[in-house]
Amino acid sequence: MANPSAPVSHDEEERVRHISASRYYVVWVALLVFTALTIFTARGVHIPSPWHLLVGLAIAVVKAALVALFFMHLWDHGGTTRLVLVTALVFLALLIGITVLDNATRFELSNPVNDRNERFMPPGPDILSPMAVPRGGRLPERSQGAGETGGAPARPGGGH
Amino acid sequence: MRTEAEVTHGGEGVPHLAHHYSNLEMQAHAARLGMWLFLATEVLLFGGLFTAYVVYRYTFSDTFVAASKLVETHYGAINTVVLITSSLTVALAHHFVEHRQSRKAALLLAASVFAGLVFLGIKAIEYTHHIEAGELPGRYYSYEGLQAHGAAMFWSLYFLMTGLHGIHVIIGMGVLAVIAFRTWRGAYDDGYSTPVELSGLYWHLVDLIWIFLFPLFYLI
Repeated sequence: MANPSAPVSHDEEERVRHISASRYYVVWVALLVFTALTIFTARGVHIPSPWHLLVGLAIAVVKAALVALFFMHLWDHGGTTRLVLVTALVFLALLIGITVLDNATRFELSNPVNDRNERFMPPGPDILSPMAVPRGGRLPERSQGAGETGGAPARPGGGH
Repeated sequence: MRTEAEVTHGGEGVPHLAHHYSNLEMQAHAARLGMWLFLATEVLLFGGLFTAYVVYRYTFSDTFVAASKLVETHYGAINTVVLITSSLTVALAHHFVEHRQSRKAALLLAASVFAGLVFLGIKAIEYTHHIEAGELPGRYYSYEGLQAHGAAMFWSLYFLMTGLHGIHVIIGMGVLAVIAFRTWRGAYDDGYSTPVELSGLYWHLVDLIWIFLFPLFYLI
């Protein structure tokens, strides 16, 4: 019953076997070129703020695609193995995308204390601002004296 | 539980063919699919950490840009080249096993293990610098040069993500070392390359994750 030469996905196996080694060297050189390019775009030239990150990530995606397609043979192996990776990436995109949407559209004070929202924070440390200012760091401007007239009332037993 | 002899010589006298597969191609396909399923869980494992990175990169954007200046680009660049090159040697090793040049393949695998050692050595130098400077996670952060919201969080993520990646490098080196030894001893002389291919896939994934860690920590 078992026939070792039955052609199940035989083409794929044969295709991988007939790849010449030079293809791997070409991919390797391409990866080195893209590495040099990503360092140059980050350090050699000045790209304004949100774009430099996107350029870096775009180059990283190209490099990752080269590794996955040619070193990991997704180019030659079709079907289910590609589907597995694509499925993982779709769920990763959902995870990151929806989390970023949440953080970017929140009421600002519900984010951890940061440079954008620290001056709106009630005078801490109390239960409303659990993220204390780092040791030796800048205190929120309002916490020096202004807290007595404006700002949130101190919670009983909350501050030390 | 089947004995090893049954697994390796199951399918009607065909070497390496387990009895529940009708041919070697089908068995290789199943093994590859299983490995990719495992790699998908790895992608999601690191995905959680990348999500955490994105959240705090958004929340503490200025601090992260300032903190990434403390991570030296040239170390990361050298390590990127080291890992990319080790991926090449692993891919070539698989190629040579399929073309029945086991000795060559074993040496290439050994070179990949050595590249992993170089990577870890450079990482150790970096970690030493950061630890001495007090650039540490959470309440252990004591670096005076950068006191801002989220500075400690950058180092939490840095050590978590590069640390977990480093653990993967160590595991990959162990796997590749065993496969290199078996290849040298002639275990895959007959062109049966699945173990070499699957351990190579793992190593490529380690490379893949570093490709994203490099711009996010060294170049922002």
